[in-house]
Amino acid sequence: MGVNGEREPIVQVSGLGYRYRGQKEAALRGVDLEVGEGEFVVVMGPSGAGKSTLCVSLNGLIPHFFRGRMEGEVKIRGHSTRDSKVGEFTREVGLVFQDFEAQLFSTNVELEVAFGPENFQVEHEEMVRCVRNALEWVRLEGFEGRQPATLSGGQKQRLAIASVLAMEPRILCLDEPTTDLDPTGKLGVFEVAEKLRDRDDVTLVVVEHETEETLDADRIVVLKDGVVVRDGSAREVLRDVELLEGAGVMPLQVARFFYELGLGEQLPLTPEEGIEEFRRRGLEVSLERHEELVEADREREESYGEPIIQVEGLTYRYPNGVVALQGVDLTVRQGEFLAVLGQNGSGKTTLVKHFNGLLKPTEGVVKIGGVETVKQGIRRLGQRVGYVFQNPDHQIFSDTVFDEVAFGPKIREMEENEIENRVSEALAAVGLEGRGGEDPFTLTKGERQRVAVASVLAVRPEVLILDEPTTGLDYAEQKRMMELVERLNEEGSTIIVVTHTMWVVAEYAHRSVVVRDGQVTLRGTVREVFAEEEELRDASLRPPHIVSFSNSLEVPVLSVEEMLRVTEGG
Amino acid sequence: MDPSLYLDRNTWVHRLDPRTKMFLLIGMFVLPFVFLDPLYVLAVLVLVLFFGYLAKALTNLRRIWFILVTIAILTVILWSIFGSGQTPLFLFVELEALLYGISIALRIDITVIAGMIFLSTTRNEEVAIGLVRLGIPYRFAFAVSTALRLVPTIVATGFAISEAQRSRGLDLESGNIIQRIRKHVPLLVPVFVSTIRSTNVFSMALESKGFGAGSKRTFFLKTAMGWRDVLVLVAFAALLAGAITLSLAGYGELEGFSR
Repeated sequence: MGVNGEREPIVQVSGLGYRYRGQKEAALRGVDLEVGEGEFVVVMGPSGAGKSTLCVSLNGLIPHFFRGRMEGEVKIRGHSTRDSKVGEFTREVGLVFQDFEAQLFSTNVELEVAFGPENFQVEHEEMVRCVRNALEWVRLEGFEGRQPATLSGGQKQRLAIASVLAMEPRILCLDEPTTDLDPTGKLGVFEVAEKLRDRDDVTLVVVEHETEETLDADRIVVLKDGVVVRDGSAREVLRDVELLEGAGVMPLQVARFFYELGLGEQLPLTPEEGIEEFRRRGLEVSLERHEELVEADREREESYGEPIIQVEGLTYRYPNGVVALQGVDLTVRQGEFLAVLGQNGSGKTTLVKHFNGLLKPTEGVVKIGGVETVKQGIRRLGQRVGYVFQNPDHQIFSDTVFDEVAFGPKIREMEENEIENRVSEALAAVGLEGRGGEDPFTLTKGERQRVAVASVLAVRPEVLILDEPTTGLDYAEQKRMMELVERLNEEGSTIIVVTHTMWVVAEYAHRSVVVRDGQVTLRGTVREVFAEEEELRDASLRPPHIVSFSNSLEVPVLSVEEMLRVTEGG
Repeated sequence: MDPSLYLDRNTWVHRLDPRTKMFLLIGMFVLPFVFLDPLYVLAVLVLVLFFGYLAKALTNLRRIWFILVTIAILTVILWSIFGSGQTPLFLFVELEALLYGISIALRIDITVIAGMIFLSTTRNEEVAIGLVRLGIPYRFAFAVSTALRLVPTIVATGFAISEAQRSRGLDLESGNIIQRIRKHVPLLVPVFVSTIRSTNVFSMALESKGFGAGSKRTFFLKTAMGWRDVLVLVAFAALLAGAITLSLAGYGELEGFSR
């Protein structure tokens, strides 16, 4: 307790500025921030806003590990991070990174967690206690002897959290801990965060980009271009729809709906609050308008062309005997926009890898354009079915954007002229026209992702498969990416998207299948599938807020815009 | 695929102190080089395999049998052609050269198998502790164990990258050797870039967990030289001494071979 009965700030950031060596722009500028002991603060903002820089400033990696110019001061429990070595602050401020693969390095779970205490010369008996305690907090008891590589993504991230908790830090800073996780994995991490929130001796600072997950926070800090543009109580900030949109953060859908209706001040935030407000205001839904939406879906279904992908009785068994797919039937027609949903390990990626011949069916057949994939081979299939992998860095290798995009056409021995045409066409399609001369490695993640798409487009495939195309992108980049995909679909490409991002499915896809334990358990238009909330929940999937909201009103809609269309009265 | 070599089994070999296992490894590197007669070297191989059997580590050999066989065949062929002896066998191949080739092949395979057994029974962390107990600074010991860890990670990344590039039409199977090597550029560059990126996060994570915070550190794994270690070391030292004595007495040589 402080002098005034207020809680003494455990973190005091004053006038913090930082510019990495070799960068023109400062990553942070004049940031002031105080965090009280036991608080749960969420930091939001678009890519490049300085969120990660703020995190590494808290545990002393800035200024001691990174090279650059620091201004102002960061004090942890009254001690300036400038004054001493990193070691002292890492014990007080535990930092967990987004990339859980890269931060785990031990041969079993127990040793991973013990690494921190070992460095701080904790005695053996005490260390055993710390390790057990930390594993209990993240619910990984019983996993002590397991190899980290054999854990699921969610378990790995929880292990990373435990490995930091074992040092018993006063402040736990999680930098986008759930970005690379599937919904089940995310849930597990959020549950851990929730448990930690109730602890008064642990202060939580979490960088998060999914607005729906920030409702439990005490406070939200919004960063943009290295500056704090808003710092307030979570509910207060979440009601400021205009500010969030301006800062490139996705606003809560229910709040935006009421905001667009012009029903100002005390905006409801959750679907439940929304329903209450909806009734209180005497608003009503127009069944007629809703029928128009359903009719539009039907018309769209009828506009699809010939079947292009036919899957019959597909079973896939890995060499080690594990069955990944069992008796899957699926037809994709020309011009469709299909979303494949499911947890990691459900078999959804295994399914789509059959479409371009990366995998061969153990039983059953997969036909592309009426011919079995096993008779076509991966190279020929590549002409018809393009596959954009999740991580653009797993494919980019050229010195220039032009060469990267030209790779597909060149390898197929096209003429110089033709190659140039195709590259400029593909670059224009992804909004990178005139940037062929740039080095792809200096582009942002969103731009690299678009180079990857362009390099597949240059071959002019009929079907485009995108594996998690929005992961790791901020709201604006996600929208730009999906608008691009939507346009390609309108121009005639058949699109298959594998994703965990439910609002992306709701707003852009038309048909969807849910894969669970190697079988397709739900299929239909996105509207039909998302209306089945119970079944979705069984597959650990949760529709976006506005869909849940409309489901309660029994008029399933997919976006705020659709909801506005079907609303009347008030 | 499981990228790690360590087999988590509870045999007496696993329970040995990492230092003991390191000495055994060095010993097993030396032993096959004491003799040249393929029969004697074969005996060493049988001994090493028996040790691997006791350590329940032979399953890992399935992962490298292809490499072992390739090395063996190539070595035997090369020495048969380029070595010379006194007893003609067929064409220009002499018996002594063939036997010499077999010995060399066995020697190389033995060292590979011994290394495999060591990695199958010793955790990376134990390697580090062992080196520290031998007086090597922890930072260096950790670097060694990290290098061991990095190999399987790179293999896994390489697999994902090859899937991505094959999907774009990269065909690694056709063409002459130079063309094939050039075709690997689209694989190697992303492997390097991804590895460097993840190494960057790795070093931040290390720093964030207080790596090198103090000059000393404690260890979670308990290691101590016990009576078993002493027994094993004495037995192995006796074996090695016996082998060297035999060799000095003129046994296990290969007569009549010249290069």
